[in-house]
Amino acid sequence: MRVDADKIREWVEYFREAREIRRRYANWDFIRSQPLNVRIALEYYIETGDFRTAARIAGMGVDEFVDMAKDLAGIPSVG
Amino acid sequence: MVNAIADTSFLIDWIRYSKSKLIFKLFNVIYIPENVLNEIKSERALIWVSEGLEEGGLAIFPELPEISREALDLVVRSRRVPVRPVDYPEAFCLVVGRRLNFTVLTENGGAIALKNYDPEYFGVEVLRGIDIIYRLWRLNHLNSFKDELELYQRETKHIYSRKDLVKYSDYLK
Amino acid sequence: MPETSDVSDKLKEWIEYFKEARDIRRKYANWDFIRSQPPKLRIALEYYIETGDLFNAAKLAGMSMEEFNELRIKAGIPSIG
Repeated sequence: MRVDADKIREWVEYFREAREIRRRYANWDFIRSQPLNVRIALEYYIETGDFRTAARIAGMGVDEFVDMAKDLAGIPSVG
Repeated sequence: MVNAIADTSFLIDWIRYSKSKLIFKLFNVIYIPENVLNEIKSERALIWVSEGLEEGGLAIFPELPEISREALDLVVRSRRVPVRPVDYPEAFCLVVGRRLNFTVLTENGGAIALKNYDPEYFGVEVLRGIDIIYRLWRLNHLNSFKDELELYQRETKHIYSRKDLVKYSDYLK
Repeated sequence: MPETSDVSDKLKEWIEYFKEARDIRRKYANWDFIRSQPPKLRIALEYYIETGDLFNAAKLAGMSMEEFNELRIKAGIPSIG
């Protein structure tokens, strides 16, 4: 697969910006108050946007995890 | 009207939107892959899906060996590039989009990026919530694109970044 | 045109047939049992009552058709037509 390096650079920047948005909106008090696996899952989700793995870490369904992240932890879905 | 296929990332955002059912005005049928349906457990999401099935706007797309094989291959290929990779459900939707000319509905950045950098997927139409809202507005199903996008972001708690909004900057002034 | 009205009459008959089937499923369903189920199964059973669609109901429930068929029997829902 031949990929355009400039395009890849743009996307790297895009995902970096998405992570910054998640970090900024996150309710860190809530996150810190959670049991270890949920806290790690939320922090992982903030850093990567990977809801699937995060949900597994938290031991939750994917949609349940994302709803919790949005409604309780303040983490928006971005990118 | 064309058919579409929706992945988990799209559905779990879209169904939070109060006007979510307007999407059925844009597509003949929206397919949900079995592997995506298996990930959905919340009551709200399941009710939305079951109503869609009942009303004929949704249908379930089965696991097909050929599609599955190509999707697994795409999962591996996407990990060779230093941006967010795609997981199997997103890859499955992209392969269906390419092979069957379905519009792919996703909010997964990895899938959107792949469509943009992988020449094999340049021809696949990939739409996000913001694109759907824009189309609905253009077809006069919504009054104001700007207001509706704000409502969508508020209800779904999905934020579109600077790069996402550039495409529609003329309509967001 | 005779052909068109024939098709239209047949369709009307089928629509009536499916409505009746749905009413029967609703009437015989054990709603206490259905309401006691976890959301995924409850929603699948309700979907089945409304549509008679075993295939998609099983998918909603995350079960095989055979397993879901056992569940609908437990829920008192007849299979009709």
